Amino acid sequence: MTRRQYWTGIIATVVALVIFVVPFVFIAFTAVKDKAQASHLDFTWPLQFLFWQNLVDVVTTRNYMLLLAYFNSSIITVGAVAMLILFGAMVGYVLQRRQSRWNQVIFGCVLAGLIIPPAVVPTIWVMQGLGLFKTIWGMVLIQVAYGLAFSVLLYRSFIATIPRDLDEAARIDGAKPLQIFLRVILPLLKPVTVTLIVVQSIAIFNDFTNPLYYLPGKENVTVQLTLFNFQSQFSTQFNLLFMNILLVTIPPLIVFIFFNRQIVAGMTAGAVKG
Amino acid sequence: MKLIPSAALFSAFVMVSGLAQADTVLSVLIDNNPETIASMNALTKAYTAAHPDVTFDIEQRPGGADGDNLIKTRLATGEMADVFDYNSGSLFQALKPTDTLADLSGLASQAGILDSFKTVVTGTDGVVRGVPFGAAMGGGIYYNKKIYADLGLKVPTTWAEFMANNEKIKAAGKVPVAQTYGDTWSSQLFVLSDFYNVAQVVPGFAADYTGNKAKYATTPAAMAGFQHLEDVFKAGYLNPDFGAAKFDDGMKMVATGEAAHYPMLTFGIGSVKQNEPDNLNDVGFFAQPGDDAAHNGLTVWMPAALYVPAKSANLDAAKAFVDFAGSVDGCNLMIGANGATGPYLIKGCELPKDVPASVADMLPYFQKDGGTVPALEFLSPIKGPNLEQITVAVGSGITSAADGAKQYDQDVEKQAKQLGLPNW
Repeated sequence: MTRRQYWTGIIATVVALVIFVVPFVFIAFTAVKDKAQASHLDFTWPLQFLFWQNLVDVVTTRNYMLLLAYFNSSIITVGAVAMLILFGAMVGYVLQRRQSRWNQVIFGCVLAGLIIPPAVVPTIWVMQGLGLFKTIWGMVLIQVAYGLAFSVLLYRSFIATIPRDLDEAARIDGAKPLQIFLRVILPLLKPVTVTLIVVQSIAIFNDFTNPLYYLPGKENVTVQLTLFNFQSQFSTQFNLLFMNILLVTIPPLIVFIFFNRQIVAGMTAGAVKG
Repeated sequence: MKLIPSAALFSAFVMVSGLAQADTVLSVLIDNNPETIASMNALTKAYTAAHPDVTFDIEQRPGGADGDNLIKTRLATGEMADVFDYNSGSLFQALKPTDTLADLSGLASQAGILDSFKTVVTGTDGVVRGVPFGAAMGGGIYYNKKIYADLGLKVPTTWAEFMANNEKIKAAGKVPVAQTYGDTWSSQLFVLSDFYNVAQVVPGFAADYTGNKAKYATTPAAMAGFQHLEDVFKAGYLNPDFGAAKFDDGMKMVATGEAAHYPMLTFGIGSVKQNEPDNLNDVGFFAQPGDDAAHNGLTVWMPAALYVPAKSANLDAAKAFVDFAGSVDGCNLMIGANGATGPYLIKGCELPKDVPASVADMLPYFQKDGGTVPALEFLSPIKGPNLEQITVAVGSGITSAADGAKQYDQDVEKQAKQLGLPNW
């Protein structure tokens, strides 16, 4: 390693540290401060370490609302991501492999799903008609509907990179269409699936506006909505708010660290061919 | 136990309306301000103690634009809680109250509610649809009593005196006026709190303004609010970080004596109580001064109100609860939960003696005849959506006061047309 490389390495590390670690340290510091010091919102060493007390305050607020919120958010995230992957891969596979006149129409619908913004009130009318409003499963379906177009696009372009010969070989061996998909194609989609899991689960877990409008009710709370226990238009308890943020940030962080290595491969894998 | 007579009254009320069935659960949707939550908890707890068959399911919502959308969405889809709180005045009118909200004019408690409040929760058909929830607020200027005492200053009754005080404070090395444009809404205060002075000079301004006959840009008295913003900026009286500071910073500056003045609504004292309790009594309050010392008074913001949606499944039970919230007992419970931040608009509901200094400063305006005028947004349905952006631009020297007033007149025009007002 030359001297020059050594120094650029150091500088890059410092810059990355400032950009990625400092905000996190700021959250952590504010989360352990007392109420008065936290209200200054500055980057200082906490005078008092009230980690445990703030943690207990946040978790027990409004009758252990945060735990219920974790449970709800987990169900919504896991349910929605599972459906997104299964259906996204299936639709993408058929769209890419079976050329027909309908392809353009279907692809147009997928693009429309990506482009046209959803309208809240009519959607709620539909959900009321189906008896899905104010249910966790209704919320899962909303997230699937909003995320499906993106998944289909990603899968479709990734499947284009898988040679057709594999399908044909499987068919010659006697596999039925569903078997070809489940046994041959789906395992090959792992890189793009990992990308989708990370991107969609973080987006759905962190979603604020959709649960606010589509999932009203005290028992239907999600993690992002719990932030409003401590933050209002005119007064905010910053120490508890930041403790809550810290707790809410942990699950996506785990997902990210867990799948970190595969993300970059997956991101570029689907991006090249059309 | 003050509750007992009213409890008897209400159980009678409940019997008469044929509601004696067991176990009604009323859903309640409130905003997430700590004061609101404390008030509602006190009310529901007392009500359930008096009526064991009625229990509550309280849900919180965010404030601001998200809260507005949420309320409108849920009213439009028929999913609104049995009881909810929301602003009175022009925001109340935006809910289409004649279609969506229940008639509350028959409640026993309406007799004790001040008429000035009833006018801001009355739909276009003349029916009262809300009861007050919380204390009235004044718009004016917080000042630091220590700085005033140290420099031997007097509370100003004219704008010229105010500016003269600022000059002395600046000479003493303190920040004369704190402004916090990081929270854009807080920039509107100089314009909105000036309405008392506008109404003294041009008494018919609100009606003429609604009828498109008077404009901010062409009415010198109304222009003054914008001019004040420009003046304090040009004189260099603002804190150096006025563009980025937030509302909490503003209250902190005036409480700790970093700044001498902060124009704000009187609810701001709640922030001091939470974050700088030691400085609570260092903060005083005066109404925004005008040109004439003889006419010095306060611009008042009406409290939010409790409403019952017309489609509520528990209409009678919800009305009975709202009636309780509007009674003197309900009012006392709310004062007990939050302390006194301002006067409650219910006859016979007195404030305790040990109120913070800034609240005590505010009360004389209410006791004086003609000492208060409701803010323009309670007298006219039009309030332009972009006022806060315009006042930030004027207050930071980007736009001149005259141009700002003109821009606001144009902004208001869009809204008046949307509301379908005559003569626009």
